[in-house]
Amino acid sequence: MSAVAEAPTPPQPASPIAGFVDRNFRWLLVWPSILVLLLIGLFPVIYSLFVSFQKINRRVSDTSFQGFYNYERLVTDERFWDSVINTGIMTGIALPLELVLGLLLARLFLESFPGRQILIALIVTPSVIAPFVAGAMWRLMFENIFGPINEIIRWIVGGTFDLLWLINDNPLIVYSAILTTEVWQWTPFMFLILLAAWSNVDKSQLEAAEIDGASGWRVFRRIIFPAIRPVVFVALTIRGLDLVRLFDIVYALTRGGPGNMTETISIYAYIKGFERFDISMTAAFAFVVIVSLSILVMVVLRRVGVTQ
Amino acid sequence: MARLAVQGLRKSYGKVEALKGVDLDIAEGEFCVFVGPSGCGKSTLLRSIAGLEEIDSGTIAIDGNVVNTLRPRDRNIAMVFQNYALYPYLSVFENIAFGLRARKVPNAEIKSRVSNAAEMLGIEALLERMPRQLSGGQRQRVAIGRAVVRDALLFLFDEPLSNLDAQLRDGMRAEIKRLHQEIGKTTIYVTHDQIEAMTLADRIVLLRDGIIEQQGAPLDLFERPATRFVAGFLGSPQMNFVATHLDHVDGALTLIFDEGRKLPLDPARAAAFDKYRSRDVILGVRPEHIARASGGAPQKPADASINALIDLVQPTGTRTYAQFRLNETEITVELPSHSVEHPGTTIELLFDMSRVILIDPQTQHVIQG
Repeated sequence: MSAVAEAPTPPQPASPIAGFVDRNFRWLLVWPSILVLLLIGLFPVIYSLFVSFQKINRRVSDTSFQGFYNYERLVTDERFWDSVINTGIMTGIALPLELVLGLLLARLFLESFPGRQILIALIVTPSVIAPFVAGAMWRLMFENIFGPINEIIRWIVGGTFDLLWLINDNPLIVYSAILTTEVWQWTPFMFLILLAAWSNVDKSQLEAAEIDGASGWRVFRRIIFPAIRPVVFVALTIRGLDLVRLFDIVYALTRGGPGNMTETISIYAYIKGFERFDISMTAAFAFVVIVSLSILVMVVLRRVGVTQ
Repeated sequence: MARLAVQGLRKSYGKVEALKGVDLDIAEGEFCVFVGPSGCGKSTLLRSIAGLEEIDSGTIAIDGNVVNTLRPRDRNIAMVFQNYALYPYLSVFENIAFGLRARKVPNAEIKSRVSNAAEMLGIEALLERMPRQLSGGQRQRVAIGRAVVRDALLFLFDEPLSNLDAQLRDGMRAEIKRLHQEIGKTTIYVTHDQIEAMTLADRIVLLRDGIIEQQGAPLDLFERPATRFVAGFLGSPQMNFVATHLDHVDGALTLIFDEGRKLPLDPARAAAFDKYRSRDVILGVRPEHIARASGGAPQKPADASINALIDLVQPTGTRTYAQFRLNETEITVELPSHSVEHPGTTIELLFDMSRVILIDPQTQHVIQG
């Protein structure tokens, strides 16, 4: 026999179960907390799925299986589709506007100048205010007699000017009031994120492009935008989701009115659930929104390659 | 092809003066290297010429036209950056073509010019790749390609080789020199590496603390440095400097050291040093100008010998570096291999006194003689 030691064999566990426990001990330790998190996270979703197949409202409390009764009511409800369209309009206008304004502001603040830090802090203040408060504030701003906005317009045009911003037949006027508030509050958020990303673009690439003679637009399209693209899409996703769920600002300004002209998905869901107590239909409503949003987010993330 | 004239250039960052009045003329087709230790202002000078730094005062003129107020893009220069600064989201082809597209060159011409540049640099096979798929040396070539493809007046290189490993650096250095010989464009090259400066330059501009310490042909600077700084900066291993005393011994001007060691000056040069008699001076001698005395070999008239106790031996294969102490200073000597094997040996060393320099300790200037 040579003196070379045999390869040491690992100690054999007593039984197959003990072996399994041995090998997967770390997973077993993590499992209980994962279970709790799943329960907390998924329970409301699953519960509302259950409720959406029942028939519970202010008058009846029928917990038997109703099939797609509530879903049918939802998709045939014109007011629901109106709220989807209203939300789409607000998102479709506010999101690009916030992005463009955020980019322009970021460009403005890229170079250092005296007072830059203080100005950035001031610009960001709107985003610190609670959206409902911001909405209430702007309702005062848009007030037709005492509000500063009409007052300023009166200075400019002279004479009397008494525009009802928030209760107007013309959707253009009501929407511009809402969108002004929304863009006022959330552009700073875009600005801050984009400024951070933009400041990280390699300076020497920009210098090389300047020496190469590229125009500002070419530099932005070929060098800056590709570099900040992932951040832009994350910011768009965050703001996009916020906008699809838009509630506070609109509720504070118009309560979805006049009529249901500015009613968003969230406001309609709130009215259905907490003013009409049409619980099962609201559950179906919530479930449809959750599922479609999840699909949307997944598609967007995959398209822009953030998840890879 | 262009001439460059810089006059009275000053630039400060806050309270720090980076350039304290630089005057410089670069002739058409010249390969000019700015060299100096970090913080000497060489990169600032280059970036000022490119227009990437605003200058405080002075003028920069290309072919006689003052370009002070022109944006970098309008100065018609090309620049290679230290970190390559390739556009990461464009292919190699588009990287090289970027400047041409920006200047609205027709597509067919872009194609032929890019492929010419790629051929010149041996990167034809890489044109479809993205920068992140390239090695450091390949990226460097693309960066150079981006510069040569444009018909610029001036080529500027900002420490282009410092991010490459030593072996690649030697190869690229030769290639840059060959490229300059082929294209013949006026080139300014910034480096902190004195070997790059010596090998590439038609003219070296040695900067220190924001001023030009000395400029001239590489060998001129090497052989006739004006100051101790220049003498010490160029050459590897560095020139030795020893504080010593100059006086008459037996009627000849002689450097006097500790332990009674003496080095008489070259009689042919002695007259120029006469006014430093009885004063302290600094002796400057390059390691390669000290040799081991070999018994019966005839001595040159300028040679002077001293005894040295070797305390450190560093063989490199081709040469052996040995050190000994003279006036409390370590002196490095470059000897043929196997000249000295062990520390602790005392040998006789010959100083080539026709090539040593003497430095005034007050002014740090080399005493001309």
